[in-house]
Amino acid sequence: MTNLSISQRLRTLSTGDRMLLKALVSCGLLTLALGVIFGLVTALIRTSYLGAEAETGYRVMTGHGVTIFFYWLYFAQMALLMALSATQTQGRARIGLSPAAWSGLVLMLLGFAASTAGTWMGSPLLYDGSPDLVGENTWQAGLFYTGYVLLASGLFLLAVSAIATVIAVKTGSGGRAWSTIGFAVTAWAGLVMVSSLATLNTFLPAAAWTFGWGHEPTNHSTGWHLLFHNLHYLPLMGTVIIWYALIQDLTGVGSIFGQRFSKGIFTLYLVFVPPTSLYHMFLEPDLSPILRGLGSLLSLFISVPTIAVFLVIVSSLEAQARTRGARGLFGWLWMLPWREPAMAAIGMAAVNLALGGIFAFVLIQEQLASLLSDTFFVPATFHFLTIGTVTLTLLAAFTWSMPALFDRPLWAPRLLRLLPYTLTVGLVMFGAAGMSAGLNGMPRRVLDVSYDGTAPQLWTAMSPVISLGAVIMALSLLLHVALLVGTALGSGRRQAPATPSSMILATTEGAAIRQTAWTAPLCVLVLVIGMYAATILAFALLRALPLAGAAGAAH
Amino acid sequence: MTEDSVFIGLVSVIWIALVALYAFVPMFAMPGSAIVWGSGGAVFLALAVVIAIVERRPKKTHDPG
Repeated sequence: MTNLSISQRLRTLSTGDRMLLKALVSCGLLTLALGVIFGLVTALIRTSYLGAEAETGYRVMTGHGVTIFFYWLYFAQMALLMALSATQTQGRARIGLSPAAWSGLVLMLLGFAASTAGTWMGSPLLYDGSPDLVGENTWQAGLFYTGYVLLASGLFLLAVSAIATVIAVKTGSGGRAWSTIGFAVTAWAGLVMVSSLATLNTFLPAAAWTFGWGHEPTNHSTGWHLLFHNLHYLPLMGTVIIWYALIQDLTGVGSIFGQRFSKGIFTLYLVFVPPTSLYHMFLEPDLSPILRGLGSLLSLFISVPTIAVFLVIVSSLEAQARTRGARGLFGWLWMLPWREPAMAAIGMAAVNLALGGIFAFVLIQEQLASLLSDTFFVPATFHFLTIGTVTLTLLAAFTWSMPALFDRPLWAPRLLRLLPYTLTVGLVMFGAAGMSAGLNGMPRRVLDVSYDGTAPQLWTAMSPVISLGAVIMALSLLLHVALLVGTALGSGRRQAPATPSSMILATTEGAAIRQTAWTAPLCVLVLVIGMYAATILAFALLRALPLAGAAGAAH
Repeated sequence: MTEDSVFIGLVSVIWIALVALYAFVPMFAMPGSAIVWGSGGAVFLALAVVIAIVERRPKKTHDPG
């Protein structure tokens, strides 16, 4: 295989394959913009800056969850899964089984239309689509569930196409081992297929019931917990694969630990997916005490693969930079290409992952789960992961690949470079205020939290901060989308080709392996200390509150 | 065979072992989990088999004659 970067190889795609990727990227940006607008409106209604009928408010909230969590994240992931698999081919980049991929895209689009129609025409079911909320609006709920079924079928077909693409690479090379990215793409596509099956397992019985073809599902919540676990893991796995690929493209640095070791780390993701799912069941009354205890223990492993990939990437970067003469504990950081908007986005995504990770560990502890899982602590925490980490990473990859895909220069790269920082500022405001309010019992999924003026004073005090954070976050994301749409439409200024930042840090692997690289292990140490501190703080705060834990459904 | 089929095969073995635990050991009985992870185990097993077959098949060479 020629030694072209991913972005260079995207330029060699045929017109048809390029059209497919452009369509996936465009659908991704459209659903992100819509989902962010719904999210902003939800935040403003919740904090009483906007008035709305309760039903409309809950529809907007449902639209936010469904559009962002199901459609934006999956249109974008599929675009990048297909792009990474296509660029593994020898010679010209190509997508295997492209009719399956096109069918997958069409099914996803139909799914989005059905889910949206179901949300606005029927009862607002929120994104988990609980059958308990369907009421009289059965056919509208059927439309909503059919949307998820179509989405799952589309994802499955796209994953089949991605796997066919990398299998063709292996066939063409006489069965030789894939590159690390080729292997990671296969593992990622495999987990997409499993998640598709989990989606069908959850929503197919519900769809059948609403159309009168079966009984009301009795185990919807179990199916949802299993699916939800996959939906936590899958985007995070995609995120670290994108980090690995983009860092290699941006800096020329691959893993200094070798290909086989890196593949082993990506395998860990798949190994840990099923056993760590137990913590989603903590609020199930019939879960045995043994499984409850085991779930607590196993939940500690959930971040192991992500931390391992972080260690591989950061240690490799640091070792290569030190070989190039970087001095001091953090001196190597200044050698990274921060002028690239994609690098700035990845940097902030890593920071947000650490913040989200610390507080997510508070949330998944068995004794705290029942007290916190219905509070605003949950959305305040997971926005660090869904928006601050995953969305920022997906946008980084779009920013890096769209000029090659659309053959147009980036529009306003300086502004694009700034947006990850403004987004993080908004996120920290939203997250910190939301977690404080959540620790004091502010409920989630409730639009009117004033309780006729009887709500605790802290909730009222935190609401403007939550709102302002949401506005900053939303405007940063909408501006990011606008600049990428402008890029696709050709608003960017063509400049003389700059020196590619690629290979700026690459040295020989042998020289790099002899360097000491302490930053990544130190970061992990800080993370562990942060987790302990946050847990101690959460326990202390909750013990000080005059409350009794009586939670309903889990997160 | 390369590490690619070995790693994916390992995943399928672990998932299927876990499914057996959820399906057949009363203490861990979780039929819902067994169905989802079982279908996943089947996906990764199929994938490992396909990869292994491709790895064992000799590379086709074009015969100019």
